[in-house]
Amino acid sequence: MAKTYDYLFKLLLIGDSGVGKTCILFRFSEDAFNTTFISTIGIDFKIRTIELDNKKIKLQIWDTAGQERFRTITTAYYRGAMGIMLVYDITQEKSFENIKNWIRNIEENASADVEKMLLGNKCELTDKRQVSKERGEQLAIEYGIKFMETSAKASINVEEAFLTLASDIKAKTEKRMEANNPPKGGHQLKPMDSRTKDSWLSRCSLL
Amino acid sequence: MADDLPEQFDLVVIGTGFTESCIAAAASRVGKSVLHIDSNEYYGDVWSSFSMDTYCARIDRVVEPHSTLRNASYTWHVAETAPETESIETQGDQRWTRDSVMAKSRRFSLDLCPRILYAAGELVQLLIKSNICRYAEFRAVDHVCMRHNEEIVSVPCSRSDVFNTKSLTIVEKRLLMKFLTACNDYGEDKCNEDSLEFRGRTFLEYLQAQRVTEKISSCVMQAIAMCGPNTSFEEGMQRTQRFLGSLGRYGNTPFLFPMYGCGELPQCFCRLCAVYGGIYCLKRAVDDIGLDAETNELVLSSAGKTLRAKNVVSAPGYSPVSKGVEMRPHISRGLFVASNPLGNEELNKGGGGVNLLRLLDADGQREAILIQLSHYSGACPEGLYVFHLTTPAVSEDPASDLSAFTSLLFDRSDVQLIFSSYFTIASQSNKSAAAEHIHYTEAPTFELDYDAAISNARQVFNKLYADAEFLPRAPDPEEIVIDGEDPSALNENSLPEDLRAQLHDMQQATQEMDIQE
Repeated sequence: MAKTYDYLFKLLLIGDSGVGKTCILFRFSEDAFNTTFISTIGIDFKIRTIELDNKKIKLQIWDTAGQERFRTITTAYYRGAMGIMLVYDITQEKSFENIKNWIRNIEENASADVEKMLLGNKCELTDKRQVSKERGEQLAIEYGIKFMETSAKASINVEEAFLTLASDIKAKTEKRMEANNPPKGGHQLKPMDSRTKDSWLSRCSLL
Repeated sequence: MADDLPEQFDLVVIGTGFTESCIAAAASRVGKSVLHIDSNEYYGDVWSSFSMDTYCARIDRVVEPHSTLRNASYTWHVAETAPETESIETQGDQRWTRDSVMAKSRRFSLDLCPRILYAAGELVQLLIKSNICRYAEFRAVDHVCMRHNEEIVSVPCSRSDVFNTKSLTIVEKRLLMKFLTACNDYGEDKCNEDSLEFRGRTFLEYLQAQRVTEKISSCVMQAIAMCGPNTSFEEGMQRTQRFLGSLGRYGNTPFLFPMYGCGELPQCFCRLCAVYGGIYCLKRAVDDIGLDAETNELVLSSAGKTLRAKNVVSAPGYSPVSKGVEMRPHISRGLFVASNPLGNEELNKGGGGVNLLRLLDADGQREAILIQLSHYSGACPEGLYVFHLTTPAVSEDPASDLSAFTSLLFDRSDVQLIFSSYFTIASQSNKSAAAEHIHYTEAPTFELDYDAAISNARQVFNKLYADAEFLPRAPDPEEIVIDGEDPSALNENSLPEDLRAQLHDMQQATQEMDIQE
């Protein structure tokens, strides 16, 4: 089967419950906003293919599946992630303060060279704002990462944020490929074809 | 953190080990409301993997009478820091110290319960069938080894291995081929003379009757069929077929090892449980469980909160259900870190991968499994090697249980040990007099793959939900088509039947809400 893309990037969404991670995911992947039924039908990641500099990039974006609620994100969630969107809610001071804890969590569990980006979501709710844009920018500078204010509901900056993150990962990946040092991965399991029992005789891996 | 935990659940699962996580995922997958809770701050219970510093902290932890992990100790065989004069390190001759190993602590995934998977085995099939395989990656085991004339040698698995191996003569190669072909065809022809003649006898007798050489006999007994002298003919045949049936799927051997260690696997099941709405609480114990005779529900108290559940599943070793239960040693484990691998260069090409070696003691009566991991497994830093040694426990002293095997491995080899650790995994020797609604899972048993653990999970699940399917396939995200904002615009036909039913229930509930409004 021919690959329909040049790169596959695994991205994660991280942040407190209720900051709108799933809404951002759906805005970007489906251009839709209603997400009340997600846990019922079991969606754990979404895929969207974008194009940057004539390269097709398949973005596989993983949601926390609610495991952030009691800070029980599995270490397995972080494996192989190339980019992380850290999301807080500009109307919830606490979610902004917790970004520090999430960054610590990422440092403990994700690969050291993962690209990070900070998003202040729900920026359409200006009259409920508790976290100024300047504070968001300041925190991002502190960690040396990029920052944007977004609104999944009003569709502001969501597309731009993912394109920015993807293009940063692409630059890093290409640099690494030039250095001829591609990352090593393991096997993904695939369904087995219904091979007949004695086929090991006729196969290349016959003993 | 505000405690907005719901109070009513279909199922509360205590302990996040492999078996419990399987059950939690299976229940959540068929629409049950699940709370999965663990008093530890990590996932996996005795099936977990640890970084070096958390491993040592775990070993240092106080053992309670009902703990599953006990008799634990560790020793460093290197200095804490390098002496000033040796501070200049040359590449390739790195002198490890406790500090330099600890600096790479996070690169370790030290398994309490390491396993190797048959590429067509129970777990691999379950992961594929349920689509949980998308959460994990695997390393094909590089070499299946055996001890022959005091040396560790690779057992040829693929055709090219057989052709290229210098350790077998042409006659031996043909004998081995003939023998394995016979094993592979066994069972198809019921009137086969061999199967009649050897029924009720041992596999070893059958092997000897084939007039294979001593070397081929050890190949088959030690590494392929993984038998003992008393293994029956039928079981030996089955085991050989299992080995052959897993060949040629991934890599050169019939085995897989999960990248980043086996502790990833329970987490994969937990992820599926959470995706279908299961709620996760770590660092939270259940203090008490009682039965409400009126509603026939279990009432749990946890961190000052009262929870109600129709059913409770608990791993051994968790209070309150395991309090007062006697524990007996079940598995003896050794865990070693060294600066060089076991065996010759050929077994460790390019820095080595994952090697499997089944050991027998001098009498051939007791066995142990050795798994060697290099950094390609994602469970060990580059330049270091982790050895996992596992044997069925015969005493409360894991080091003495394993001494027959460690002496075979380390006494006359040039392996430079940096760290060694021993512990026992215990199982319950009797059941506590808890309410009948509480279902226990079993502690890890001595096995290579996860067959017993899966069968235990399946059995508990069937007791709870006799009519429901165990882990049906979860659809891929691409298969769930969402159009606009109306959930009814979901492409129902693309959903599996049970999800369609859930969607239907949900729509009905929405309608009822509308009416009330």
